[in-house]
Amino acid sequence: MNKINYGDLLRRFSVPLMFVIICAVCAPISGLSPSYLCNEIVTRMGRNAFLILSLLIPIMAGMGLNFSMTLGAMAGEIGLILVSDWQIVGIPGMILAMIVSVPISALLGLFCGKVLNMAKGREMITSYIISFFINGIYQLIVLYLMGPVIPIQHSNIKLPRGYGIRNTVSLLSMRQKLDNLIPLNIGGVKIPVATFIIIFLLCLVIIWFRKTKLGQDMRAVGQDMGVARDSGIDVERTRIISMVLSTVFAGIGMIIYLQNMGNIATYSSHSQIGMFCIAALLVGGASVEKASIGNVFLGIILFHTMFIVAPKAGTVITGDSMIGEYFRVFVSYAVITVALIMYETNKRKNKSKAGEQLALAQEEANE
Amino acid sequence: MNNSKKKTLIYRIAAFLVIMAIAAVMFVIGRGHTVYFDNKSSDLVAEVPYKIEVKVDGKKVASLKKNERGMVDVMGQKLTMELVVTEEKGGDTVQMKVTQPLPYNMDGIILNIPAMLKGASQDQYVSEFISVPSESDAAEEVVVTDDTAGLMDFGEESEASQG
Repeated sequence: MNKINYGDLLRRFSVPLMFVIICAVCAPISGLSPSYLCNEIVTRMGRNAFLILSLLIPIMAGMGLNFSMTLGAMAGEIGLILVSDWQIVGIPGMILAMIVSVPISALLGLFCGKVLNMAKGREMITSYIISFFINGIYQLIVLYLMGPVIPIQHSNIKLPRGYGIRNTVSLLSMRQKLDNLIPLNIGGVKIPVATFIIIFLLCLVIIWFRKTKLGQDMRAVGQDMGVARDSGIDVERTRIISMVLSTVFAGIGMIIYLQNMGNIATYSSHSQIGMFCIAALLVGGASVEKASIGNVFLGIILFHTMFIVAPKAGTVITGDSMIGEYFRVFVSYAVITVALIMYETNKRKNKSKAGEQLALAQEEANE
Repeated sequence: MNNSKKKTLIYRIAAFLVIMAIAAVMFVIGRGHTVYFDNKSSDLVAEVPYKIEVKVDGKKVASLKKNERGMVDVMGQKLTMELVVTEEKGGDTVQMKVTQPLPYNMDGIILNIPAMLKGASQDQYVSEFISVPSESDAAEEVVVTDDTAGLMDFGEESEASQG
């Protein structure tokens, strides 16, 4: 019988455990009622789950945390800006924004996948920098080309100078239309049933996808590219497909996210989304190499509980809500840093273990 | 081109066409309009009812006395509304259901209800509402594209502004 290694177990779940402790300490101090907390967590789960689920496929393909999911988020925003200008509202507006965003996301994912194939082993930093590069292009399009080249008619969207998009675009005509499509209220907690159905469907798609030939190929590529190539898998193509899928899902996720918020911060909505989604996934116990659907939901619950209670707890303890704000921001970045350090440490440890085993085998062979 | 490639191409074209069809449907059923209801006199109608109540989807959206205007945001190319008309104060009310097609190219549509009730042609009681940007809308807006703007100022800018 295998003996449980508590040290390993503790190391593996150290991040979620730490967050459970933080939340358990901060929640009572914050003084927020359980129903308020539940309401907020359920809302945030509906808002963020689709975006975070989009991170699972690149992890499966061994490409690590997809920092370039912001590319999809930008595509989603472009879709929403155009649809707002065309005055298509409600659920049809959301569907149309998704249809507009999908080809843009796919193209961006294709580009990103091709670049990442040239930077194997350095996917995360490369995808992070790609997101800055594409952000520059996004700004060029939204700030200068929307108006003169891409027709924008409405003055509440267009800047007064005649071209470019305003800092904030209202999505009042779409606000929470999906969340409220099937209304359900349990004990004062509003459940966005339709949004959860869509998230559930994506979960099913991911589970099914893992069992398909392409999904198996992705897992093989994620485990060992060399072996996968030797067994006849087109590694580069498989990696590109994983990036395209992730970016397309991120675009759709961003539309779901923004319909819940009710407005687009044109130049900043996407910039932090990748960071917070990745942080939430890691808080749920995922690693750079391995992530599951369970990690997504646990991550959202823990990370967002911390997000909700930390400022209030900060106010109660220090009298300054900004302490809590700083706390939650630095914790997000710290979680990512810790995950990356753990990933590198484990990689080195495995490498040295493999080296030791090889040396031992050679010694035995010599004897 | 072999058979399987041909099949794949056909599936892709079919998927593209289906998506385009869905997009076209969304354009039609999702078009949003702001409809303004007027209870005002016009060239066609000199005397207007004392009060008109407008209900959309069973919800009262406007209660208009003489020379008043109400509004509702609607989606689609048709507006079905229930009108409760009171001709004179304390008088009997008349209830009716009206379905009004909405022109696609107009964001804001003004419906002159007394003219509509009198049976005028659509051109006579439907007009476009042209919104004038408010002062705050027209004011120049500073675009912030960089969250870290200012963080890269190592004193040069403040020195320049002082000196």
